[in-house]
Amino acid sequence: MTGIALRSENLSRSFGGVQAVAGVSLSLPEGQVTALVGPNGAGKTTTFNLITGNLRADSGTAEIRGKPIMGLKPWQVARLGVARSYQDLRLFTHMTVRENVLAATETSSWFWQPGGRRAQQQREHRAESAMEATGLTALADARAVDLAYAERKFLSMARILAAEADIWLLDEPASGLDLSSRIRFGTLLKDAQARGVAICLIEHNLDVVVELSNRIAFLDQGKVLAEGDPQTILKDPALAAIYFGDRPQEAA
Amino acid sequence: MTAFLINLATLAAISGILASTLNFIVGYAGIFSVAHAVFFGLGAYGGAQVALLLVPNPFLACLVAAVIAGGLSLCLALPALRVRGEYFVAASLGLQMVAATLFAELKPLTGGIGGLVGIPRPEILGTIVPVLPLALAALALILWATARLQRGTFGRTLQSIRDADSAAESLGKNVNAAKTLAVVFACAGAGVAGALYALHLSFINVESFTLDQSIQIMAMVIIGGAGTLWGPLVGAVLLLSLPAVISFIPFIPPTEVGAVQQIIYGTAMTLLMIFRPAGLLGDMSKGKSTA
Repeated sequence: MTGIALRSENLSRSFGGVQAVAGVSLSLPEGQVTALVGPNGAGKTTTFNLITGNLRADSGTAEIRGKPIMGLKPWQVARLGVARSYQDLRLFTHMTVRENVLAATETSSWFWQPGGRRAQQQREHRAESAMEATGLTALADARAVDLAYAERKFLSMARILAAEADIWLLDEPASGLDLSSRIRFGTLLKDAQARGVAICLIEHNLDVVVELSNRIAFLDQGKVLAEGDPQTILKDPALAAIYFGDRPQEAA
Repeated sequence: MTAFLINLATLAAISGILASTLNFIVGYAGIFSVAHAVFFGLGAYGGAQVALLLVPNPFLACLVAAVIAGGLSLCLALPALRVRGEYFVAASLGLQMVAATLFAELKPLTGGIGGLVGIPRPEILGTIVPVLPLALAALALILWATARLQRGTFGRTLQSIRDADSAAESLGKNVNAAKTLAVVFACAGAGVAGALYALHLSFINVESFTLDQSIQIMAMVIIGGAGTLWGPLVGAVLLLSLPAVISFIPFIPPTEVGAVQQIIYGTAMTLLMIFRPAGLLGDMSKGKSTA
């Protein structure tokens, strides 16, 4: 449970004159939840995009259990066991819940999937299990576009569960969830943690961060300003000032 | 009259193949190509040359047409697939314009503006056969293959790419490979339609493979219902039958048939987009706002 599943070193990326990520180094231990916390524009989602290959890094490296992943395409990174969610969910809106989840189990881009009938049954079983774990079994035949907001969030999680990835990158997965949904979401995360999944969470709700994460990396202006356990980081008055927009003015 | 109906049915079957194959990439993969007539043309010229230079065997003509159209779609689709949405439409439009010019200029292969004439009738074991049963068999085969792919994992992959390609990719799907496969399958089918068209008419020229033809095929898909199995076929039959039906209306002077046809097309398209935006057989909820 103590191995490092994913490690990045000095990841950097700029857009024009804006340095979105400036030398971010992160380690995601197996079986732990690491929260990326910071104000809007801190570079949290860009860091995810650099790790998953959705964006090319200007410099820096990343590896999954020692295997370099810089330069790989997103589907190649995904096949190494990385699953991610998006702030805007990006569900397959005109497909049913079951189809959304099944699609997460089918990675071949060929006309058919390998493994024949037996593998197909296993994929269907994985999809059913993921729907059950996320409470979506009764909605299996509903289209994603017709789901309520919380159900869409859980469908996003069901796809990740069905993908059987062991590194999860979750972008604001609990935003907009009510208390009972947040409790269900927390249970999902704790179960995954117990299985050794390395989880990285971008979250603005600090209650969720404190409740679910083992450690926090605090980002601001593309840099990791501090790393540590949640209580220590969130009690730091300087970081709190940055987070709540009360940034100390630099001397002219 | 029988010959007229057989001709209409043959052209409807060929158009059905074109609409069904275009629907495969438009309706399931969300790739809006306005260059389908290019691959129809490549198949037509390829099939015609087989019949003219080798043997008028329809199976060989269709095979060669499918290989040429499918193969060239691979070369041309790969760079074009790097762009999406309206940018892909623009890229395919450019391809259509270039291809139409090449069809008109490459006289040794296409006969230029004058086209290829005297294409022999199709023969099987030395017997001349009509194109209608061949076209219907090809249409049935393509509908069967489309249905199989649509209901299988590949159909799910294409639909996931259509709905959210970045999410599909982050779940391990090689989006470009899947799109390319879909384009090759669809364009090979259009090539088969082209070979059958050439063998049926015994004459082809660039006029049948222009942007107008691509837009008409797209209209068949949209009117019938993109993303449905039977919708494009319904659209093809409707759009092909309309001119014939109008020409039989006694009080419309023959010189005005074209104008009346345009008015009916325009009015029907407008009403369709208002009342059935997803097409005649389409899912009604798809065209409506879900906000």
